[in-house]
Amino acid sequence: MTSHDLRATNLTLGYASTDIVSDLDVTIPDGRITVIVGANACGKSTLLRGLARLLRPRGGEVLLDGTSVQDMRSIDVAKVLGLLPQTPVAPDGITVGDLVGRGRYPHQGWFRRWSAEDDRAVAAALEATGTADLVDRQIAELSGGQRQRVWVAMALAQDTDLLLLDEPTTYLDINHQVELLDLLTDLNRASAKTVVIVLHDLNLACRYADHIIAMKQGAIVAEGSPREVVTAAVVTDVFGLACEVVPDPVSGTPMVVPRGRHHAAREVVEALA
Amino acid sequence: MTPALDVLDADVVRSGRRAQRRRSAVVTSVLALVVLGLCVLTLMIGSYAVPAPDVIASLLRLKDDAPTDFVVRDLRLPTVATGLGVGIALGVAGVVFQKLLGNPLASPDFVGVSSGASVLAVSSIVLLDAGSTVVSGSALAGAVLTAALIYVLAWRDGISGYRFVLIGIGVSQFMLAIIGYIVARADVYEAREAMTWLVGTVGQAGTGELRTLLVALVVLVPTALLLERPLRALELGDDAATALGSRVEVSRLALLALSIVLIGLSVAVAGPIMFVALIAGPIAQRLTGPGGSLLAAGLVGAVIVLGADLVAQHLVPAPLPTGVVTGIVGAPYLIWLLATVNREGRGG
Repeated sequence: MTSHDLRATNLTLGYASTDIVSDLDVTIPDGRITVIVGANACGKSTLLRGLARLLRPRGGEVLLDGTSVQDMRSIDVAKVLGLLPQTPVAPDGITVGDLVGRGRYPHQGWFRRWSAEDDRAVAAALEATGTADLVDRQIAELSGGQRQRVWVAMALAQDTDLLLLDEPTTYLDINHQVELLDLLTDLNRASAKTVVIVLHDLNLACRYADHIIAMKQGAIVAEGSPREVVTAAVVTDVFGLACEVVPDPVSGTPMVVPRGRHHAAREVVEALA
Repeated sequence: MTPALDVLDADVVRSGRRAQRRRSAVVTSVLALVVLGLCVLTLMIGSYAVPAPDVIASLLRLKDDAPTDFVVRDLRLPTVATGLGVGIALGVAGVVFQKLLGNPLASPDFVGVSSGASVLAVSSIVLLDAGSTVVSGSALAGAVLTAALIYVLAWRDGISGYRFVLIGIGVSQFMLAIIGYIVARADVYEAREAMTWLVGTVGQAGTGELRTLLVALVVLVPTALLLERPLRALELGDDAATALGSRVEVSRLALLALSIVLIGLSVAVAGPIMFVALIAGPIAQRLTGPGGSLLAAGLVGAVIVLGADLVAQHLVPAPLPTGVVTGIVGAPYLIWLLATVNREGRGG
């Protein structure tokens, strides 16, 4: 993997008449796993879409290795930067092999249609996601967990140094969530692939992120290592949630325990009072 | 990701892909042969039967035989060319719409693009007594305007296939009402002519309209095949297509424009032959395997139109418009499609 520099300067993004993200500066650490967290509608998915040039900036710019992504050819960006959208569409009757193969789009052209390199990349993606035995199955027959792994395989087949994923764990149960994040960590460790994930689960975010970006109302509130960022004060500020932060018994990373209004043990309530 | 496994798997991926490509190539070749066979058959049969060798000899101008040449080249060849051209146009346009909008119901004849083309074409026939250029132009304009109307009405931060289909059905009804009004106003003879035209038939082609369609096909079918690559990305949704490096807006506009032109010109030639655009793509996909192909869909369209015309002309007591036969075959498919789409909870 060659190293890359993905950053945004004074970035403003929005839909219709509203700005969702305004005047934001961010640099994505190269070769690391970055997780973007925040409450619903805080602009984290919008930021990810902006970084992947799915949204044209209203102000500022997104720079990939020093060049504005808007000025680059789409296909050149797609060779370096991949994105798994929140709700991709599986065409009717498509098989796993065909779908994963479509990840090779930016490496093919009008005349250069399919090569041994493409076969290798598809095979590696199937292998890495544990979907090799599904290759001839139709997407419609798969379970939610399998389907999500196939989409990840398609993004992997694109073979980019940077991979952005928009809430990839949404439809997965806890077991498959952990499996997917383990897989992304494997990829990051094996090849120094830069991974950026929008994630809802704070505890998984703390466990898997090298770098956390916490967003609120379209701005970055805090960023840094999970230990630096995820404190009770920041979580209360970002999510409006009263909570305790304790060490995760498995990883030692911060773990958020919400207080809520019910079910607190008596001695805890007294200690807090 | 150990290298040994990769090599093994890459072979599996390659052989799977090659098997799929082989199947697609075989199916496409067989379809092409069937189309050719239907063309020859159409040229052979009728009140003056011509044996196949004579048909081929006449087409290739191998010998002079005035009566045969007249029947084959002057009487029957226009019908064959129409069936072929209209079938390919409908098949390609239908499958492009369905894939772009991600919905098997989103074919141009179902969402009102064909009816829109018919409105202006019928108006120009009944009200203006127009010549072929004007009829072609009106049908084309009708298709473009209707598609634009549906697009604008269905637009809400992007296009969802489901909303496009629902609004298209509404627009289609509106167009049919206008057609009803025009036909009701026409005198009896014109009304009868308009009704036949509205069911759609390959036997009525005007030479000028036909020539326009055939020239357009020569340009647009290769273009469609080139655009099949971006179409395969667009099928995955706008976000995924952009992430893969496809220029979504440009490709979609080009594909939509191409299909609309094909529909408009085919309506100008043969009237709105219903259901061909709806069923050609799904049938082709069944035959070629998952993925499908635009070329196969076009050939299936040609098979349907040529076959339906043979049935309509020769297998029923009195000749019928082609559209009656495609309607009888297509309507049950539509009902089946609606039933299964709802059962599987998709359709949007």
